[in-house]
Amino acid sequence: MRLKAKLMAASFKMFIRQREAIIWTILLPLFMVFLFSFVTFDGIGHVSVGIVNHSQDTTLVGLLRPIQALKISKGQEEQELALLKKGDRALVLVIPASFQPTGQDSLTLYLNAEKPQETQTGKLILQRALDELVFRQNHLPRHAIRTELVNSRSLTYIDFLLPGILAMSIMQSGVFGVAFGFVVLKKRGILRRLLVTPIKTSDFIIAQVSTRLLVLMTQVLILIGVGVLFFHLHFIGSLFNMIIVGLLGGTVFLSIGFALSGISKSEDQVAPLANLITLPMLMLSGVFFDRSNLPGFAHVITDFFPLTYLANGLRSIAIEGATLTDVFPQLLGLAVWSVITLFIAIKAFRWE
Amino acid sequence: MNSVLEVSNLKKRYGDLLAVDGVSFNVTRGEVFGILGPNGAGKTTTLEMIETLRPIDSGCVLLDGLDVQIEPQKVKRLIGVQLQASSFFDKLKLTELLSLFGEMYGRQVEVLALLDEVELRDKAKSYVVQLSGGQKQRFSIAAALVNDPVILFLDEPTTGLDPQARRHLWGVIRRIRSEGKTIVITTHYMEEAEELCDRVAIMDSGKIIANAPPQELIRQLLAKGFKKERVERLANLEDVFLDLTGHSLRED
Repeated sequence: MRLKAKLMAASFKMFIRQREAIIWTILLPLFMVFLFSFVTFDGIGHVSVGIVNHSQDTTLVGLLRPIQALKISKGQEEQELALLKKGDRALVLVIPASFQPTGQDSLTLYLNAEKPQETQTGKLILQRALDELVFRQNHLPRHAIRTELVNSRSLTYIDFLLPGILAMSIMQSGVFGVAFGFVVLKKRGILRRLLVTPIKTSDFIIAQVSTRLLVLMTQVLILIGVGVLFFHLHFIGSLFNMIIVGLLGGTVFLSIGFALSGISKSEDQVAPLANLITLPMLMLSGVFFDRSNLPGFAHVITDFFPLTYLANGLRSIAIEGATLTDVFPQLLGLAVWSVITLFIAIKAFRWE
Repeated sequence: MNSVLEVSNLKKRYGDLLAVDGVSFNVTRGEVFGILGPNGAGKTTTLEMIETLRPIDSGCVLLDGLDVQIEPQKVKRLIGVQLQASSFFDKLKLTELLSLFGEMYGRQVEVLALLDEVELRDKAKSYVVQLSGGQKQRFSIAAALVNDPVILFLDEPTTGLDPQARRHLWGVIRRIRSEGKTIVITTHYMEEAEELCDRVAIMDSGKIIANAPPQELIRQLLAKGFKKERVERLANLEDVFLDLTGHSLRED
């Protein structure tokens, strides 16, 4: 126990003294958020609504169209529901054939369970539009309510981006930090020198891993803190949940790093391998942009990327206040990935 | 005989090459035993098999009565090892490294006393990267001493050092010997073996071809009627260099 603690303290000290590593893990992600804070992307933070209109009435749709928070598409019921299942729609509104602005018909609203925040917002807007319709027909005095609710939390691109950047930096410091770090230790004979001491392999690895996980947690807290203080991040989730998802993601990427350091002999071999693994995820896992813009076939693979699970999980918690139960699919995905990557890491790890 | 290390018929094969071909020798407690030979003679491989770093093909190594193949963990606790090309964590200071290495043996090390032993106390707060070649080797010896080993293995400790640094290191090794430590040292410098070793084994192509005290080997050679062809010079260029740059232990 004492040795484990000492080893951890030592590896933490080594990490802190490595200025490049600190820049890479803390300052670089912050810098990216800073840069992107100047950029505004339309369409991000919008609620995408599919409308299936079976009726002759156009006033309702006419009312909804100008609402900027909604991204409206009209289509056939089957198509729209399929898109909803794929995640391209937050809501699908079905207007029955008998619908009239003055009538009593009930409309059907399909909600995407994956997007609680968007569906909630969308539902409120639709409800308000319907009320408006009724008020107009009856010329009743209107109560000025609900508008504030709808605009209470307008998400910006930073809200979307920051959890993604968080996921990205967990991946980068896991894969690159460990892979490079260990290849250097191996190549320079530092691991070999440890091998002639009675130290247990597991003690050494546990110390290394726990140090890095500790750093990851600090990273999560700092980025969220800076996001809230300086970039108006609408963080409504639980820090604890963020850390749980972050740790699980960290385990996956640390294991990938260990596996890479096991199969590579030098830094020159590690770099292309690490890039080969991280670059597609960086591009296609929804770190910078909403994945709903990806073509259908791309979803088939990228849905299962560990970074997709991590980014989506962190994002749902951060900006939708999702609970661990809400992000169960992401937790499950990451758990499966950690088992797979840990197994490979143990098989591939070499002292020399 | 009070043997602390008994090596018998040790063998190691790499493909077609018999790197170590039936090596046997004993090391007595308190002596400095040298393994001499050209590069590729199998010195390092022999040492690494004794140090538990490399699997033994056949043969037996008993260290303080323990079979290296059966109880490698116990053996690791008894030995101190300086590897030929070992380096240490970059971002830990010398004192931190030594106490960390001590912890690996469950010991709290008197770090400064250990640094005194290798004359590095003034570098206590430095990092290994800031040390010169000779200082690095001396530090590496200090790290090998953290567990107060029964036997100390030094693999070519002076290779690549300049003459002053080499002599400085010899001084350190002599002092460790004077404290009664058993030392096994490999080298390809004959003068070093002559200077430091109580007994030397000469290795070539994986075999030990001679094993005796240096003076004894020289006597045997002379007894065969050997004569050097040219007259021995009274000084050589190295002596000139040392004379000009300072014989004393200048900080290297």
